[in-house]
Formats: sequence, structure tokens, C-alpha cells
Amino acid sequence: MEATCLPRIYVSASAKASSGLASCASTSNTGNSSWRRFSCLRNSRIGVMESLQMSQNFEFNNWRHTKMSKKSVACVQVLRAKLNDTERKTHDDDDEYPWPQKFGTEDLEGSPLPFLSRFKPLPNKPKTVTLPFEIPLLEIEKNINKIRETAKATGMDFSEQVNELQRKYDEMRKELYGQLSPVQRLSVARHPHRPTFLEHILNITDKWLELHGDRAGCDDPAIVTGIGTIDGMSFMFIGHQKGRNTKENIYRNFAMPGPEGYRKALRMMRHAEHHGFPILTFVDTPGAYAGLHAEEHGQGEAIAKNLREMFGLRVPIITTVIGEGGSGGALGIGCCDKMLMLENSVYFVASPEACAAILWRTADAAPKATEAMKITAHELVELDVVDEVVKEPLGGAHGDPYSASQNLKEAIMRHMKDLLKLDPDSLLKHRKAKFRKIGAVQEGVKLDPRFKRKMKPRDAHLDGEQPPQMT
Amino acid sequence: MLHIKFSKQNKSVCEERGNHLSMDSMERIEPSIDPNTWIPLDEDTISKDVLSFCDEESYENRLIRSQEKTGLPEAVQTGIGYSNGTLIAPGVMDFQFMGGSMGSAVGEKITRLIEYATQKLLPLVLVCASGGARMQEGTVSLMQMAKISSALHYYQVQKKLLYISILTYPTTGGVTASFGMLGDIIIAESKAYIAFAGKRVIEETLGQKVPDGFQLAEALFENGLLDLIVPRILIKGVLSEISDLYSSVPYKKN
Repeated sequence: MEATCLPRIYVSASAKASSGLASCASTSNTGNSSWRRFSCLRNSRIGVMESLQMSQNFEFNNWRHTKMSKKSVACVQVLRAKLNDTERKTHDDDDEYPWPQKFGTEDLEGSPLPFLSRFKPLPNKPKTVTLPFEIPLLEIEKNINKIRETAKATGMDFSEQVNELQRKYDEMRKELYGQLSPVQRLSVARHPHRPTFLEHILNITDKWLELHGDRAGCDDPAIVTGIGTIDGMSFMFIGHQKGRNTKENIYRNFAMPGPEGYRKALRMMRHAEHHGFPILTFVDTPGAYAGLHAEEHGQGEAIAKNLREMFGLRVPIITTVIGEGGSGGALGIGCCDKMLMLENSVYFVASPEACAAILWRTADAAPKATEAMKITAHELVELDVVDEVVKEPLGGAHGDPYSASQNLKEAIMRHMKDLLKLDPDSLLKHRKAKFRKIGAVQEGVKLDPRFKRKMKPRDAHLDGEQPPQMT
Repeated sequence: MLHIKFSKQNKSVCEERGNHLSMDSMERIEPSIDPNTWIPLDEDTISKDVLSFCDEESYENRLIRSQEKTGLPEAVQTGIGYSNGTLIAPGVMDFQFMGGSMGSAVGEKITRLIEYATQKLLPLVLVCASGGARMQEGTVSLMQMAKISSALHYYQVQKKLLYISILTYPTTGGVTASFGMLGDIIIAESKAYIAFAGKRVIEETLGQKVPDGFQLAEALFENGLLDLIVPRILIKGVLSEISDLYSSVPYKKN
């Protein structure tokens, strides 16, 4: 597609960044109002999910651009013919792939990058999901709403009761979220509305450009890679992308990458090293995909290759676990200089359900397995696996995604500042040392000889071959 | 029905079908290492109950029970010895000890073996037999995968030394996804079960039966994931020949 076909419909990021929704409303009386509003919100500092809640009449799918030139119509027809591939029909919004098919010939203001991002706000507000431990809060909220409705209907003043209940709600919420158990944290980590990788990216980056493909036949949707800027500095972003609803989850394979995903990640990591981008990886996966195709194409080998190569990348790497960290599937992009975890995220070697089924022989023992395996962020900091726990806003990241992203951004930039001071050799040494020290063994314990009867004893009489000593 | 004595004489290989049955680590090391040349490493390194884990039995008790039953302190034996005149650094995993699961002690022993081989410039041979990472040690055992891979990076990529991995029945999970599949040459035994996700997990994920022979060595060979399938009786000879081939390179500008 030629440059002239690209619509110039984006408000400039810098000018509108701080002004948010208010200024956009004044310019929104044209036929392209809804698209303008979206782009304005995207470029403002408001989080994507929040903006969706705010703009109740956002009809993203109904915008239409008129007055296309003959040339651009011809371009679109050629593109449509190319995209007749059956595989493309699995994409959630065909009209939008790889970029909106119908667009106007208005001038392009500002960056064209958001135009290329296929990650848009959901057209319908998702249904609220209440976790089991939040049910008492739901009861109070229902009461508050009931009283408010009664007040509206009768015209009487119930503000005192409402305030009292609101106070009780806030206190209970603080208490509940202040002391979550591992099982509760696991349910928050798996919350269907927990902010996904791309939601965090759009909240923390000034510019974002997704890059695709493993250059070997596949573009795994479960792993998203791209480059972006935070505070003017460019980074490589790699992460597992979960879906925000069932349709997206199926497209993204529930963030379970195949070997192609890991190879895509490795290609981008090498690319980042080549050009000098520090790497930020975001882990949010139940595990690597366990399917026939994945096994045939070397799932184990792809992860192993990533593990080895990541220890040779001469750029800083920071990994953040933003949701679930599923075993090898997570570690495949998780060998880093600094490991961060969001407060309510988890990192496990086997899912509690699998662990319970194997060790307790019943999946009902999953809560016991969750407690025993020590998978939450705070527990892992004590085990020296994780470097820092990033605080989430009260109510979990799903309650206030924008604040969660800002906390994340602050923590990442703080660690990055320290890592950028190191030269590449020191970085590699530091990364190696970080993982070298993880492990708990006992030595010099006098073992019962029966416990060593099947070990081949020393029988060497070699001259000069002393018992091994390493410098 | 196989008589144990004949089976052991035949290196635990079924005469009829050529199925390589599992073999314990002592039986592997004994014939492969030249007599009076073996020096074991880290014999007394054993696991610690870092999570104070207790399922139906405490992890500590499970460890002691396994040690008593198998006569091994951990699931891997490491050391150095001569094989057909070449000094090598072998590490041999043992499936009998808690399913060959990789915990901190296995991770530490293998890492130290690799570090020793790096320092002394020895070829490394790791015989893999594992059910995966040790769940009783949680995320700490997961990180052993990264730890070993980090040591292997220095050994293979920076020092350009030779690492041969031998995959035996069964090699699954974390071991396949770390050092098992990182060999410069990957050798498998005939009909060895080599997988990342186990058969049951795949069947549950897909809701359909996995075809017979799907994750056996022969299938992986057809898919280009292995270099060689070598009968057990030939392994020692093959390893020395490979070692010779790699040491006769005329253009090694390190």
C-alpha cells in the first residue's frame, strides 16, 4: 500500500497527551468522530480499559470513511484478494487485518504506528467476574445500590447509610486484599480480566510497534514481540498474550506458545542484541502448548535453545511475571538480569492441579498443592528467585489496570537504570551469577554407606590426577 | 518374559524387539569407563527440603526412603574417567531415584560437572533419564534448568567444547527442555520415550488419543530432532569415534 493510501487521522501524541478526553470531544463532530476519539484516547495517558468504560457510546465497528480515491479502492481490492487465504479467516476482525480496509484520505497527523497495532479496545464491555473471596464485597455493593435506588425512587435522603456502607466496603476490601492467601492470589493471577501484556504495553509506552514472525513459516499469536519507547528510550518487548474474551483466547491459544513462538522470541532477542535494545519480557502463560504439532516441531528443543541463548545476550534483560508463570513455558523467555513479579502473580514448576493429581493423587488437593509449592511473589522473593515484588492497586490489577501498569513502569525503569550502567561482560557475569546461586543442597553430611552402595566408587590411580578442585 | 540374568548380559536389551529397557546408572558407567580411571565428583551432595514440602509424606522422608531403596544419594552420578583412552566428563542420571526428577542437587552436580569440564577442557557426556523437574522443590527446581543452560552456554558457545547428550528411556519435561536437547550431538537409544509434555497431558489438552509410537526416539528422528539412534552395545565405541572426529579438526581458531 502506498503512503498516499494511509489515512491521516491520528491526533498527535504530544499535544493531546495530557488533555485526555475533554479536548477530543470538541473536535469530534465529523463523520470520523469515533475513530478520532479512539486514537485520542489511545494517545492520551488513560488506560485502554478505563477509556472503554468511560466512552459508553463508543461504536468502534460502525465507523466508515467515505470518499476513497479510485487508486486506494484498487489497492484494497488487491489486498483483499491476497488475504483470501483460509487461515486469515481465523482472525477476530477480518476487516481490520492487517490494517483497516476502509480508510479515508485525510491527512495523517502524528505517528502512523497506532494504525498498525491490531490490538483495539473490546467492542463490548466485559461482564464483571467476582472471585469467590470477593462475594462479601459484592453483597455490600448490592445493598449500596439498593439503597441508592430506593433514595432515587422515594426522594428520601439515605446518604448516611450509603456512606456507612461505603466505609464498610472500603475497609473490608482493604482487609481482604491486604492478606490474600496463595490460593486467592492464584485466582487473581488467573482472573479473566487481569490486564494482558498488550494492555500493559499500551499503558506504559509512548510508541509501540508490533513485529511479527519467526521467518520460518509461522507467526505464533501466543507470543507478541515488538519495539517501543518508554520515556524516550527504545526497548524490545516480548511477552505472552492472553485473550480478553473467549474468542481472543482461542486465537491466542490461551497464551500457550508452540516452538514457533519461542523461535520468534529468540529471533527478536537476537535482533535486539544486534541493535542495542534492552529486552523487557512479560510472562503470563499457563505453560507451553502440549499438542502433537508442538511436540513434532521440537517444543523442548525450542525452549532449551532459548534458555541457553539468553545467557549470551549482551543487552540488559528484565523479566516481569504479570500473571501466571507456567514452568518451562515461562522460563523460555525468562532468563534475565532482574526478575520482577506483580504482587498477585504466580510462578510455578507445575500447575497446582497437575501437582495435586500426581503427588496427592486427586485434583481436589489443588489448594494444598498451591500452599505447599510456594508459588506467590512474596514467597519467591524469600527463596531468592525473584528480585522485587511490584505492588498492585487495591483490588488487584484488574480493578485499576492503569495504576498497575504505572507501578510496573516505575519498577522496570528503576532496575533498568542500574543495568544500563553495566558493560556487556559484567551483565553476562551478573546474569549467570543470579541463576548460579539458586538451589538448596546439603554437603559434607555423613551419609550412611547403604545410601551410596550403587554409586561407582573411585578407582583411579592416575598420577597427577588429584581429587578435582576448581579455582 | 525375559530372564533377568540374560537381560543383564545383553545390557538390558530385549533380544526379540531391540527394546532398550531402563538401566540404572551404575550399569551404564561400569562398562563405559576404562578400569581404574573413575573419579566421582560431589558424591555427598544431596537435596535439602527448601520448601518444607509435605504431600502424603514429607519430602525429607521421601528422600531418605529413595536413598535407602536405590542405594544412591541423588538422581545423578557425575565424575571423570577415561573411555577408550580419552578423558571425558560423564554425568549419568538414574530414573530409579524419585523418577530421575531434577532438583537442586541434580542441578548443582551437573552444573559443577560442566564447570569442571570447562576448566579442564574435557568433552562432556550427559545421559538423561528423567520424569522432569522435582515438584517438591517448586520453582527452585525449575531454575535448575536455567542454571545448567547458563553453564552450558559458557561451555559450548564461548569455549566451543563438545557436549554429547544421550537420551534414554524416559526423558521428559524439564530435562528435555534444557540440557537434553542442547547437545552438539544428540544420541537416543532405540524406542526411548522422549517428550516435553507427557502423553496423558497431551491427551487431556487435545481430547484425543495420541498415536502409538508418537514420542519414541524413532519418531523424533523422522522429525529431525535427533542426530543418531545408537544401540546400547555400540555407545562406548561411538562416543570415542565421535571424540576422535572432533579432535581432528584442522581449522580450530579459538
